[in-house]
Amino acid sequence: CEGSSGLYFPQSTYSETIYVGQPAGAPVLQVHSMRERPSEEPYFCLSWRNIQKPPLYAAWFHLDPLTGVLYMNKTLEWTDFDSLSSSTLGYTRKLTLKVAAAPVSQKATCIHHSRVDVSLTFINATAPSCGQKMEKLCFPDGDISSHIKENRLPGALRQLRRFTHADICPNYTISYRVEADSPVPFAVNNATSELVVTAPVDREEKELYRLIIVCNVRTADMLHRLDTPLLINIYDEDDTAPYVNGTDSEDVLIEFSRSEGTVFGHVFVYDRDTTPSYPKDQTENKFVGTLMTNDSWIKDTFTILHGFREEKAMFGNVRGTVHEYKLSLSRNVLVDERRSVQLDYLVNDTTYPGTEGTVMLHFNITILPVPIQFSNITYIFVLSRKSSIYSQIGKVCVDNCLKFKGIDIVYQLEISDRNVSSDVLSCYTTVNVARSLEEMSGVLYVNDTKPFYRPECQELQYVLVAQEQQKQLQTKTHLLIIFDGEAEVLRAERPRSLTCAEKRQRGECETFKGMGAPTGRCHWRQGTDKGISENYSTCSPDLRTCPDGYCDVIESKNMSICPQDCTRVPIIGGHERGLMLGIKAGYGTCYCYSEKCFCEQDEMEEPICDDMCKTIIATAV
Amino acid sequence: GREELVKGQGRGCLLKEIHLNVTDLGLGYRTKEELIFRYCSGPCYDAETNYDKILNNLTHNKKLDKDSPSRTCCRPIAFDDDLSFLDDDLEYHTLKKHSAKKCACV
Repeated sequence: CEGSSGLYFPQSTYSETIYVGQPAGAPVLQVHSMRERPSEEPYFCLSWRNIQKPPLYAAWFHLDPLTGVLYMNKTLEWTDFDSLSSSTLGYTRKLTLKVAAAPVSQKATCIHHSRVDVSLTFINATAPSCGQKMEKLCFPDGDISSHIKENRLPGALRQLRRFTHADICPNYTISYRVEADSPVPFAVNNATSELVVTAPVDREEKELYRLIIVCNVRTADMLHRLDTPLLINIYDEDDTAPYVNGTDSEDVLIEFSRSEGTVFGHVFVYDRDTTPSYPKDQTENKFVGTLMTNDSWIKDTFTILHGFREEKAMFGNVRGTVHEYKLSLSRNVLVDERRSVQLDYLVNDTTYPGTEGTVMLHFNITILPVPIQFSNITYIFVLSRKSSIYSQIGKVCVDNCLKFKGIDIVYQLEISDRNVSSDVLSCYTTVNVARSLEEMSGVLYVNDTKPFYRPECQELQYVLVAQEQQKQLQTKTHLLIIFDGEAEVLRAERPRSLTCAEKRQRGECETFKGMGAPTGRCHWRQGTDKGISENYSTCSPDLRTCPDGYCDVIESKNMSICPQDCTRVPIIGGHERGLMLGIKAGYGTCYCYSEKCFCEQDEMEEPICDDMCKTIIATAV
Repeated sequence: GREELVKGQGRGCLLKEIHLNVTDLGLGYRTKEELIFRYCSGPCYDAETNYDKILNNLTHNKKLDKDSPSRTCCRPIAFDDDLSFLDDDLEYHTLKKHSAKKCACV
């Protein structure tokens, strides 16, 4: 039955100080409970953490059940302070009380209703005498913020007087009033010194009221004025319906991107209410969506993604919620699928009390089939006989393959004329094709260099076959490889390593025949930047692909081709590692022995003769 | 310190330390951070064996052509913990096996 009423405390905690000698019957503080309905006259009671066994000091206090004023039940003695056990020594003790509020009709069960903490600091001294700081007479120490809920009844909100300080200076008259830049629904009841909210407030109009509480203290000869700021937060409830701004429908075209998880289009739904993220099980302003279809194909293929965020500017500088609905594929769509469907999605603001709390969204979806074909061309590549093994020759691609997502294509090479002699047939080991990892294209590369040395191998005619994997759709085209130039003379003794990346200087790099070099020679990249740079000096088989920060499908076939992009082991020297593999940036020259890479400044670098040096030489001459 | 030495081998080979800026390491990092760099230094004559004496004689008599095989030297046999630092572009770097922890004649 806890919290079954609309009563709530506009403060999260009440605190005050009490002193030795504070007399029985003296008021300490006053709590207030705000109401939802006029019938909910509040009834206050003291409550304890363990109701069976209240603490020793429970009997020191008395709470007026109708006004919420807490009184001393006894005069505090020095021995009372000593009777309180505390883990710490010192001149203060903290006394914690709880006050509950129930409607008068349920006063028997009061202690089970919503509660608020009251924290009293008991100081081991008598109350200070008159003549202390005026601030202490007017306002409590620390923050005095309050909160009220929107759309509720007006009423008293907070007691401004400090009861425990009121008797210290009996000859002073203390009065309060509210000041604000613009008219506010808050005022002070002069008879009781209570701050009162005079009318229901609307959070969608104003979330936070900044008041100035003015305290006037009239002494025998002067009038003192003291100010303190007071913030009143307005708490939200779900009192506005969701709406769309402009269109409630979105056209979606599904063509080349058809993989599971792809997201298309978005529709926004707005709600002027706030949506709390925490706690997780909060139901306030929660939106529930329903897919309005019985078609199992649609249900299995699409899901609606829902996200929300808080915005302020578009709601007149008051927080509101923007909900975003996106269409997502929950499985890969087949390449030959052709369909048009309309998907309706009902959004329901479940805690909105009216009947208008729903919005219907529409996704107009068109799915086009993707033809798997080569345009009417024959691929022709000229291949130098100087090329090294694993040199990349070029790329092949079915129409639009670079746009494909969720379409799986495998490329293969077949020999067009199988009736050729076995000598000629063995020429065809020269070239092979691999599927590139990041896009649906194929990469042609040199698989065998021995045919370069054989006169019968002049030109290779292949059939390039591309096969889509889900529906086994196949397409073919012709591929012609023409050999060019003379092959290098075969040396009897082959070098032990074929890695361009081993070479540390331009000269030895550019004369070396490394793996993966299309011209048969390694290439030098000269870095110009100082410090650790992505443009470090290095020796590479092909500067178009190595180093480019990406270990491609051919490079990953053999670690000796491009360890700069593909190394997995720790790098020695100043460097920045690549995201997964390789060197992102290096200091000076980076070189590698098999997979182990080093980056360092070349010691042989000659000092450059600067302007100063030139001047000296010129003068000397 | 001295107690770190492997007994009976290379009493002159010691762990020494120097306070440096990371930029002094010459690895190209731009940062204001500093470190204690420890290194191994000292003679290793007392750790030599017949093998080393023979090599010394052969080299001296020019019997090994131009070849000069390495002799016993004072090297780390264990390394300090990794060193992490923030560079001037607010990126983290970690140096591994950059500083000696234990030395020996090897």
